[in-house]
Amino acid sequence: MKYDPIPLPAEDLQRIEDLERMLERERKAREQAEAIAERGLRELYDSQVRLALLQRITDHANRSNNFAEVVDAALKEICGHMDWDFGNAYRIDRELDAAIACDTWYAIDSDQLFALIERSRHATFNRGNGLPGRVLRDAHPHWIDDFGTDTCYVHRAEAITCNMASACAFPILLGEELVGVIEFFSRKPMVDKDAILLTITQAVTQLARVVERERASAALLHDALHDAMTGLPNRVLLDERSRLAFERLPMGREGLAVMVIDLDGFKGINDKHGHHAGDMVLVEVASRFKSTITTFQRGETEGDGPITFAPWHATLARVGGDEFVVVLDALPDQTIVTDLAHRMIAALKPTIRIENEQVSVGASIGIAHSGSDYVDVEQIRRDADLAMYEAKSSGHGGVIVFSEALGCEARNRMALERELRDAIRDRQFVLHYQPIFSLDKSQRLRGFEALIRWNHPTRGMIDPGTFIPAAEESGLIVFIGDWVLRQGCTAMARLHERLANRYSREDLPFVSINIAPQQFLQPNFAAHVQRVLIETGVPPECLRLEVTEGVAIIDSERTRQVLEEIRAWGVRTSLDDFGTGYSSLSYLQNLPFDTLKIDRSFISSMDDPKSRKIIRAIMDLAGNLNLSVVAEGIETPEQGNALIEMGCEYGQGFHLGRPLDEASAFALIPFDEAA
Amino acid sequence: MKGVIFNLLEEAVIREHGLSAWTGLLGMTGLEGAWSSLGSYPDAEIIALVDAASVALGVPPQQVLQWFGRSAIPLLAKRYEAFFTPHASARHFLLGVNQIIHPEVRKLYAGSACPRFHFHDLDDGRLCVAYRSPRKLCHLAHGFIAGAADHYGETIEIDHLSCMLDGLPTCRIALQWMN
Ligand code: HEM
Repeated sequence: MKYDPIPLPAEDLQRIEDLERMLERERKAREQAEAIAERGLRELYDSQVRLALLQRITDHANRSNNFAEVVDAALKEICGHMDWDFGNAYRIDRELDAAIACDTWYAIDSDQLFALIERSRHATFNRGNGLPGRVLRDAHPHWIDDFGTDTCYVHRAEAITCNMASACAFPILLGEELVGVIEFFSRKPMVDKDAILLTITQAVTQLARVVERERASAALLHDALHDAMTGLPNRVLLDERSRLAFERLPMGREGLAVMVIDLDGFKGINDKHGHHAGDMVLVEVASRFKSTITTFQRGETEGDGPITFAPWHATLARVGGDEFVVVLDALPDQTIVTDLAHRMIAALKPTIRIENEQVSVGASIGIAHSGSDYVDVEQIRRDADLAMYEAKSSGHGGVIVFSEALGCEARNRMALERELRDAIRDRQFVLHYQPIFSLDKSQRLRGFEALIRWNHPTRGMIDPGTFIPAAEESGLIVFIGDWVLRQGCTAMARLHERLANRYSREDLPFVSINIAPQQFLQPNFAAHVQRVLIETGVPPECLRLEVTEGVAIIDSERTRQVLEEIRAWGVRTSLDDFGTGYSSLSYLQNLPFDTLKIDRSFISSMDDPKSRKIIRAIMDLAGNLNLSVVAEGIETPEQGNALIEMGCEYGQGFHLGRPLDEASAFALIPFDEAA
Repeated sequence: MKGVIFNLLEEAVIREHGLSAWTGLLGMTGLEGAWSSLGSYPDAEIIALVDAASVALGVPPQQVLQWFGRSAIPLLAKRYEAFFTPHASARHFLLGVNQIIHPEVRKLYAGSACPRFHFHDLDDGRLCVAYRSPRKLCHLAHGFIAGAADHYGETIEIDHLSCMLDGLPTCRIALQWMN
């Protein structure tokens, strides 16, 4: 393809030369333009691929709250993108100040890299050691350009065995905090560090987001499982832990115990000082309990000996207002639990300072131990609860360990309580009335004491002695007492209506009603009495309320206020069962009573001169304090006469008149009696 | 086909046969002859140029392709020095075509259809390069290989064991290093 040149004139040749040069310049310009465009295209391509990579990593990060899962995907993506051979992830352990591999790794060829993987996936690097340790120290990326010359790397031998040439590691930073490290190995040199940095830094930001979310959800979970105020586990976590502990029990199911703790006196603090104070007390109590447990668990280490931890575990939880539970497991011996319980009570002895006041609380603790009879931990918990109630009902706290006998008793009491509730609902109670007479010559019937009976659907009439204690313990006494008050007044109003035209107001018979301490100390008790008086229309002076010393012992100041308030309306008050219990003279002096009721025990033993002396003393006392006296339980004419002789004003008892149903009792009133 | 291939062909033809030879080829094919390395153009255009050259030179098109591939390598080495320097031998360079060279080419030219080769050792110690492409440009590959041998100062005997041009599914080229 050779052509012979055609001869041309010089100016034409010159022109051709010029044009060829111009063409050459044009070509160069085009090639430069293409080269610029190619560079741009290549960068565009690289950034597209990088963005696609970051997008995939971001997608993984958005899909999951699990760091390990996302890191796993990211390592795979990055190794694929960079053509690196091995990627490995570490978490930072703040306490150990070390980077700890979390067995999350990716290798292109795990077979060939076996030695390196095995060395790396559970590795721990202290600050400054190896690549991860250096990243931990400096919080910036580190590189190893050649394993042949860089001798600092801890697993260098393995890296070389696996033909690795280079490595790099990057910090995973959450704000300022280093939370993890990712590390990569390659059999080729890592040349374009700027590009690598750009890519990995952005990828790592996504990983940090996952850590952040992981923490947020861990915090949520923590909140869901812990009591916000005290920071202790709550019921949910306690249930879970105790269920697991129960499942772990060996044959015979021994070694687990549940301790139920209820604070005594807490409600009072709440009422008196407010909820804020109550909360402060709970926080303080929780922390005392917690440190008591850890101290006890650590044992009394003698001298400088090494601290040895007890083999058992304990979970302290707050499960309700002022109720705590400790579940203990892996117990080598049951006495540990009772010991601990006493220590916890002792921990409450020092007063608690809230603002400028010192308050104190006690605790009632019930304990139940696991055993082969239990099929789930809930049962143990219920028995511990029973034991706690038992401790609580003693009135001064303490520790009670559940026993079969206690269980039996408690179950009976609970059954009785259930029946009492039914009885209140179904109106199974009735009132009987025992007449009270003047012991003077007139022997006139002055009034009645209303006495409750339970007309049980299967057991017939039941005396109060059998059910009132249970009613008092369960608090049901308040409902029953209110019913008695209203029922007694209603009945009296009916009687008064019948007698209306024949009796002057001051001669109308009265009704005497027993008020239990709990009922009396209800905040609205006086108001309730007033309402009943208004609604039934019974004249206040025809109502006598009988209280025992018990009320005064609980709160004498309040007792005085209430007594004064109801007496101001004309209601009469009487101190029941006088002579038993404390019989503190100061109560008599300070509390506004109209009447003293001498306890039946003195009357029944009147043959004994000692009893007579006591009765006489009581009557002298009453005379001096201007109180009238009622003698209860007069069973014989002799007793009656003796009391008359001693100048006792009123009396009641079998000898004078038994308790009778309303109709029979009220029939005792002489219908035609003239005023 | 990417415009860069046309540019290489143009450069090779002008270098070896002069400008008028190139304009001659354009005249024969009726092609306009304005190709940018960035553009993509119909495969038929490169085929037409090869065929025209074959007619003008009186040699089979396969030989034109081989000549073109071989002449293109020094031009490529000038344009894309970075693809050549990491390799110490033609063998190493050729083995990198799948991993580095063609993937990099794809980054530069979106949509380029660079082929993948399969390399394996034959029982007689030769290296077998297997190639499959609808373009059936095994003789271009032949030329590139010969050019690579020149570049690294080696001699390779190239033997077509089977060829798509004969209706077979793959082209298999055996390489024997002579030094
Ligand atoms: C610096 C080195 C190389 C560069 C820059 C390069 C670039 C290219 C480009 C741009 C194409 C066009 C693809 C298209 O337009 O769709 C191509 C195709 C091709 N290349 Fe390469 N190449 C190189 C090395 C090689 C080598 C060493 C071989 C042979 C072993 C080879 C064999 C081929 C073949 C056979 C085609 C035709 C496309 C087909 O068969 O479908 N290339 N190359």
